Amino acid sequence: MRLSILLTLPATLLSLIYAQEQHSYTEHLHLKPLPDNSLYAGFTFTSTTPYTAYASNHFRYFPRSLAQILQYTHTAELHLRFALGRWDEESWGSRPRRGLREGGNGVELWAWMDGAEEGWSDLVNSLSGLFCASLNFVDSGKTTRPVLSFEPEGTLEELQRKRSRTGELRLLHGMLPHEVVCTENLTPFLKLLPCKGKAGISSLLDGHKLFDANWQTMAVDVRPVCTPGGDCILEIEQTVDMVLDIERSMRPRESPIPRPLPIEDVTCDETKGYNGHDTCYPRRPKGETAWSLSSVFGRPIRGSCALGGSEKQEYDITFEVPSERTVEITSETTIPQSTTSSGSRTYRLPQNADFDLNLPHQVLGSSAQASTLEQPPLYASRQLTGHGAERGGMHTLLRNPHPYTQRIVYLESLPWFLRPYMHTLALSGAGKMEKMFYTPLLDRKRGTHLELLIEIQPLSTVELTYDFEKAILRYTEYPPDANRGFDIPAAIIRVLPSSNNSQSKQGSYLRTTSLLLPLPTPDFSMPYNVIILTSTVIALGFGSIFNLLVRRFVLVEEVPGNAIAGVVRRVRDGVARIRGMVKGGGVGRVDNGGGGVVKKGEEVVGGEVRKVDGGGRGGKKDR
Amino acid sequence: MALSARLLALRRSPVLLKLPPYLSALCILVGLGWLLILPLNEYSRQTYISENAILPGQVHTYFGGSEHNVFRAYRQEVYGLSERSDHERIAGLGNVMREQGLKVANQSYSWNVAGEEISGTNVYGLLKGPRADATEAMVLIAAWRNFEGDINYSGVALALTMARYFKRWSIWSKDILILISEDSTYGPEAWVSAYHTTSITPTANRNISSLPIKAGALQGAVALDYPAGPWGQRFDKLDIAYDGINGALPNLDLFNTAVQVASSQMGIGCSLHNLKDHSDSYKDRLKTISKGLITQSVGHATGPHSAFMPYHVDAITLKTIGDGWHDEMTLGRTTESLFRSINNLLEHLHQSFFFYVLMNTNRFVSIGNYLPAAMIIAGSFSISALALWVQSGKPTPSEGAKPMSPGEKRKQPEMAVVKDGKNVALVPKEELEVIERKMFIPAAVVLGVHLAGFIPLYALNHATRSNIPYTFITLTAATLILPQYLARHILSNLPPQHIFIIQSLSLLLLGATLSTLSTLNFSLAFLLGLLCSPLSFVRPLPSLRFSLEQTTRYVSTDDAAGIAANLAVVAPVSALFVAVSPPVVLWVVKGMFFGSGGVEGMLVEMARGWVAQGVWTGAVVWGVWWPAWVVAASVLWSGCWRRPADEV
Repeated sequence: MRLSILLTLPATLLSLIYAQEQHSYTEHLHLKPLPDNSLYAGFTFTSTTPYTAYASNHFRYFPRSLAQILQYTHTAELHLRFALGRWDEESWGSRPRRGLREGGNGVELWAWMDGAEEGWSDLVNSLSGLFCASLNFVDSGKTTRPVLSFEPEGTLEELQRKRSRTGELRLLHGMLPHEVVCTENLTPFLKLLPCKGKAGISSLLDGHKLFDANWQTMAVDVRPVCTPGGDCILEIEQTVDMVLDIERSMRPRESPIPRPLPIEDVTCDETKGYNGHDTCYPRRPKGETAWSLSSVFGRPIRGSCALGGSEKQEYDITFEVPSERTVEITSETTIPQSTTSSGSRTYRLPQNADFDLNLPHQVLGSSAQASTLEQPPLYASRQLTGHGAERGGMHTLLRNPHPYTQRIVYLESLPWFLRPYMHTLALSGAGKMEKMFYTPLLDRKRGTHLELLIEIQPLSTVELTYDFEKAILRYTEYPPDANRGFDIPAAIIRVLPSSNNSQSKQGSYLRTTSLLLPLPTPDFSMPYNVIILTSTVIALGFGSIFNLLVRRFVLVEEVPGNAIAGVVRRVRDGVARIRGMVKGGGVGRVDNGGGGVVKKGEEVVGGEVRKVDGGGRGGKKDR
Repeated sequence: MALSARLLALRRSPVLLKLPPYLSALCILVGLGWLLILPLNEYSRQTYISENAILPGQVHTYFGGSEHNVFRAYRQEVYGLSERSDHERIAGLGNVMREQGLKVANQSYSWNVAGEEISGTNVYGLLKGPRADATEAMVLIAAWRNFEGDINYSGVALALTMARYFKRWSIWSKDILILISEDSTYGPEAWVSAYHTTSITPTANRNISSLPIKAGALQGAVALDYPAGPWGQRFDKLDIAYDGINGALPNLDLFNTAVQVASSQMGIGCSLHNLKDHSDSYKDRLKTISKGLITQSVGHATGPHSAFMPYHVDAITLKTIGDGWHDEMTLGRTTESLFRSINNLLEHLHQSFFFYVLMNTNRFVSIGNYLPAAMIIAGSFSISALALWVQSGKPTPSEGAKPMSPGEKRKQPEMAVVKDGKNVALVPKEELEVIERKMFIPAAVVLGVHLAGFIPLYALNHATRSNIPYTFITLTAATLILPQYLARHILSNLPPQHIFIIQSLSLLLLGATLSTLSTLNFSLAFLLGLLCSPLSFVRPLPSLRFSLEQTTRYVSTDDAAGIAANLAVVAPVSALFVAVSPPVVLWVVKGMFFGSGGVEGMLVEMARGWVAQGVWTGAVVWGVWWPAWVVAASVLWSGCWRRPADEV
């Protein structure tokens, strides 16, 4: 046996060396100034590992901690999102990465898994520990199985074929809208990176700045990529997207309080007639604000995350600005740079040297800003309507700003305590509902899963409404902050790729904001507790005494005979007697040992007639 | 056994049967007295902050410095806009907010009440809280015209300055909506109702457009009322208005926070109901309570905040009063601190009281202590109703009632033997007789009168402004004539039992309604209870008619003297009764609060409240009070129309 292992060892090593070419790590930072003094920063960290190495627990850049969880839970593809804030489509245009790396407010997780429910439960619990998030609360009530909303990004079929598994991979999806994403989630996120936030673009990721952003989302995506007939690699893509308010981010950390500026620093509109030494109509300063990477993020990029080795590694920054915009680079070494016609500049990060971008104050031509904004595929907003503790309504507006018909998938996963009235579901406006997948809720066990395939006419608005009822929770089901309301997860909208304009099979995604649903909440103050306690005590005391007083104990013989029951009993007794004779153990007498008290050899049966009639199912007593 | 026997005996006790009117009177006196002891230290409490998360006045406020220059400029801007057309003004206000980076939208609304149109356009901006996830929001309101109809120059300018100042902070965990409504009553009403509905279907007398921009659930609203003109005016105190529609109140914590921030942190004195000088004496406390009672019982809006209450959004209005040394910056810092406190909230305001009576800015009575006042008064009607019910079940006193002529022999009442175990008793047969109560006619009368109550309600809410005084005069006349008609043609022909039942049913309904109402709107129930208190003691008045045979021949002096004596009773009682009739009381109220103008001012306000804001005070007046009065008046005057012969 041992010999055989020794023999196979060189082969394994060989395969590892061969596979090393497929280990890779790239970093990419995308910066784009947005209107309203905002800055979009998109960080992408991608590392790959060959599937064989993954299967044999050999990791180079791929985080081992995560890989082991995936192995243990048989997860083929994983998507995890931490999101905070709102993307402002009107000011900022379309979403970065077509919304593919974005999540609903809070935490969102979906995965294609090979195996049963336990795998999912293990997965959420392990991820909960790994990312310091309450993912373990994604229980069956919060898990849905979307049909149309998600497509695997990896080549799952190839993988299955390669692993010669026959079972189908299952998609499970869960959301935690109440989870507040914070630094405690960022730290484990950075720990998964090879440079752990110490070098490379990840050195810019500082909790203070990240969570002061107007919008931010962190994503972890693991997918298998197989070439047909060839090898499979496992790819992990970690992304952080954020929109920073430049002015706010540049405030020094020592005095972050936005005190009113000294009057000398406020630009006054001098065209106003009343402008004077004590009257100043504030005017927006013209042109672009001056900023630099180090002032916005608090520090420059600390060199590249060069890991050595022969593998493919890329570290670059794309800076999407109009070509007129002056960009100064502060670095000790010369930086290779390439500029596209539109003005986007790409820089390669230097090794072991700080890198900083510096943008001076500049007044740009008016055409420069507007052209850079791309129109989003769809505008969506969702609101709760109605007031009071009994009923409410959901109102979603979907607006197609494009001159062509779009098909979208609208996914809503609602908690069980929001009970939608499906007969009130109505789609009005220039749209058509093509398909509907609906899984009704089960109290405390399963939430509503509603998936709609909607076609929206060009340049039109569709209104989706339905009414719902608010369930009353049990006393212990209320969270400590019961009066805050209950979070309803965001609706996920997938805009399907149009056939003529096929970007990818994924299409693009957007998510509405999450909602806060006020439920009927009891007054949890002292009197309420007292009432509950005393009522319980009285009920217990009263119940037992009442039971004693009212319950009637009778002899079996006294029980009024029921025709059918009598026949049944006689037949059963007969059978028992015959069986007893066959066994030769004498005549056994069978009675229904329901409840009741047996004393002095008498046969006493629990008082209820029903029990006597339907008896015999309980224990048998042979005497 | 002994106890039940004693109770049974008690049931027939003549003392007990005579007791109810006195008991009713006692209840009314106790109810009134209860209210009078509330201002005492022993029965009221110091206010306190119940919700720990609020931390009022714990933050340092930074509003000041160059913001003052900005404020002055905005005030000039607002003044400039006030001289332009409505359309330009809306656009101008929107522009200011848009320049600050807020999302701005307009909302137009119109109502058609009393043949007049109430219309306007609200302009509002949304400041997205950087830490917010669009689930919660708070509202800063500055109505363009304040409740008195003056242009709210400084209030609007301050709201705009605050918006610009708030925009730079990253601490907001809730979105902030800056609402500049057209007026102080209907603008906020239109806005908040549209905020909570998908789309309001336009009807003949309502057209409210939906809101294009919304945020999450509203957690609180603060309105600023500071009508100082473009050159400013310092103020002395902040008057805090807190009454909502239909007497709903905001959570006491919000009120307390405002008081605490203003008085402790900023050193601004606070007042209630425009009572500037409050010495915290018994008299001043009682005065504040009574002003509060009247405002709450009317149930109408008292400021821009009122419209928010029915939607369970706690709201208050800060109104500057007097001439002092506090300036707009102090008010700004108060607002800042107040918003920081609301921002601190983790849950919807729920911790403190929703039912309270305030007697000073720092003293209140909670529901457990004040509710009995209204309940006891409502109870007085129930007691009378029960007494009348019992009385209706007894046979008409045949012998005792008739004055005995001198020579007549007293007839022995028929006796019956009652055996109870070993005890044997002789009881007059009369006592044992059970009279069947004939319910149909009394029930029909009471029901009919209650249904008739919808006629004035409908008429007054659908008449045009020019018609409304005539409608009301007609109504007053009809109200006074209807009981006479009922008394003459229906009630005077009914046996006394029916009259007892009619009165009993009516009072029973009144008592039940008032006690229910007292939990919803204490003040209305209490005041209505007091106004209805004579209704418990109504008995048919002595007759003013000559007996049949006498009228045909001649009037005896005896009869004339008797009628004169009866008239001496009837006249003052009738006068008193007319004085407490709903229309007459409304005339008095009009005289007290609406000055010398026509009655239409008040009535149109009532109609507007009913149509636009859903104030149901009118429904209570015409649906509860009016029928109760009409029934009681009919019973009262039924005696006058009764022939003396009938009485025998």
